[in-house]
Amino acid sequence: MKLRTTKYIIKEGFVNTYRNVLMSLASMGVVSASLIILGFFLVITANIEHNTRFLKEQPEMQVFCNPNLDDYQVGMVQWTISKDDRIESYEVVDKAAAFEKAKEMLGEDKEILEGLDESIMPVSFIIKLKNSKDYEEVVEEYKNYPGVDNVQYSQKAIDFVNKILRMLQIGSTALIIILSAIAVFIISNTIKLTVFARRKEINIMKYIGATDWFIRWPFIVEGIIIGLVGAVASFGIIYIVYALGGRSIVNDMAMLELVSMGDMSFQLISTFCLIGAFVGALGSVISIQKYLRV
Amino acid sequence: MVEYRAVSKRYPNGTLALSDINLTINKGEFAFFVGPSGSGKSTLLKLILKEEDPTEGEVFVNGYELSKMTRKDIPLLRRSLGVVFQDFRLLPNKTVYENVEFAMQITEALPKEIRRQVPMALALVGLSKKAKAYPGQLSGGEQQRVALARALVNNPSLLIADEPTGNLDPETSWEIMKLLAEVNYRGTTVIVATHEKSIVDAMKKRVIAIDRGVIVRDQEKGQYEDEVKNHQIHY
Repeated sequence: MKLRTTKYIIKEGFVNTYRNVLMSLASMGVVSASLIILGFFLVITANIEHNTRFLKEQPEMQVFCNPNLDDYQVGMVQWTISKDDRIESYEVVDKAAAFEKAKEMLGEDKEILEGLDESIMPVSFIIKLKNSKDYEEVVEEYKNYPGVDNVQYSQKAIDFVNKILRMLQIGSTALIIILSAIAVFIISNTIKLTVFARRKEINIMKYIGATDWFIRWPFIVEGIIIGLVGAVASFGIIYIVYALGGRSIVNDMAMLELVSMGDMSFQLISTFCLIGAFVGALGSVISIQKYLRV
Repeated sequence: MVEYRAVSKRYPNGTLALSDINLTINKGEFAFFVGPSGSGKSTLLKLILKEEDPTEGEVFVNGYELSKMTRKDIPLLRRSLGVVFQDFRLLPNKTVYENVEFAMQITEALPKEIRRQVPMALALVGLSKKAKAYPGQLSGGEQQRVALARALVNNPSLLIADEPTGNLDPETSWEIMKLLAEVNYRGTTVIVATHEKSIVDAMKKRVIAIDRGVIVRDQEKGQYEDEVKNHQIHY
């Protein structure tokens, strides 16, 4: 395709979008609305992933020694842990600390512990692994280690989070498909109106020897413009709502950390633009096909 | 230039529009297709444009064997032809100049060539002064002349006109016919489908009369109606 033809096609696309400005705006609105719904899904997924990433990156487990072990035996366990190169770091919880913690947890009911001292409490090690894939293996090994009573770990929490993340991912994929289909349908209807208004023109073009693609391209450009404008608008709305609303929600839940919009913007805007442009182009191609059969 | 070989056309609804047509129109000829509405003369033109395909037989146009052309090649065929319709078919939101220019744009012609050809075509039909007007501001005759300029701008070797004077008053019709004769004089083959008796009679060109899908008469320097038949009616 020659440069001047490309220029002609792009110009026609813009002129047509402007000529049907109301319908174009309506279609842009639909694209935006679909992308906003999708966008919130993506943002929520990103935040859940962000706030649970420590579960994946640094899985924690706690190895409890038998309370009756003497210092030497505890030292043996600690030595093994310190030499284990699958372990990133560990922290010792001694008997005194464990006793304090137990008291703290019991709160009002701490009289249960009256008459007892810290000797009943086990020494434990809080372990962070380098890699979560070693998890099960390490847990099994230390469970069977002499002098170790129990290994507590957060596998269930990890499983739970992973399950939610997977559901969200499936949900957003389904959402992309459904919302795209709706947007394609509505854009193709908008462009059908343009095409219908210009069917005589298309007919004339066919008679004087225009190729199908020469006729089709300006409509595709129109669809892409609608899709892209819709994408940018929805990104802007999500950006603002996230900046204003996100903080206030997170302030109520101090433990959550909000993913900064800056980190997500590129991914969001590129996803939106891709979907918008694709949906717009597809809508155009579908709606014009019928009128090319002359 | 145009050849029909044993062409028959039956429309999907069962109407037999053409039946075993054998006809050749040579380079440089001026031919009228005459006949009542529904006689099949429009179908003959549609076959040239490959708007319709024959049910049987073959059509050759400008060296193309149409049955061997795919949908993709149709634009190439149509660019080698000029077409004029009864209802002008101009783009209302483009000026006269742009309407003519458009026919060259779609062929991806060089801008330099466009700037040379478009004024020439407009001058040929006598509309140089109306280049900036919109079709809505022109009379029917002027609009048809714009359509003619558009048909001629790519220098086609064959010009097809389907009832070109159907929407025009007699005087304007004559102007258009004179232009078509002029175009023919310059070497373009011209085929005109019409049922304007007075024009056909006065032009003294080849007349091919079609009725109910068959050629009933093919005369050089012919008349709209058969003279013998005419004679009998008068008696």
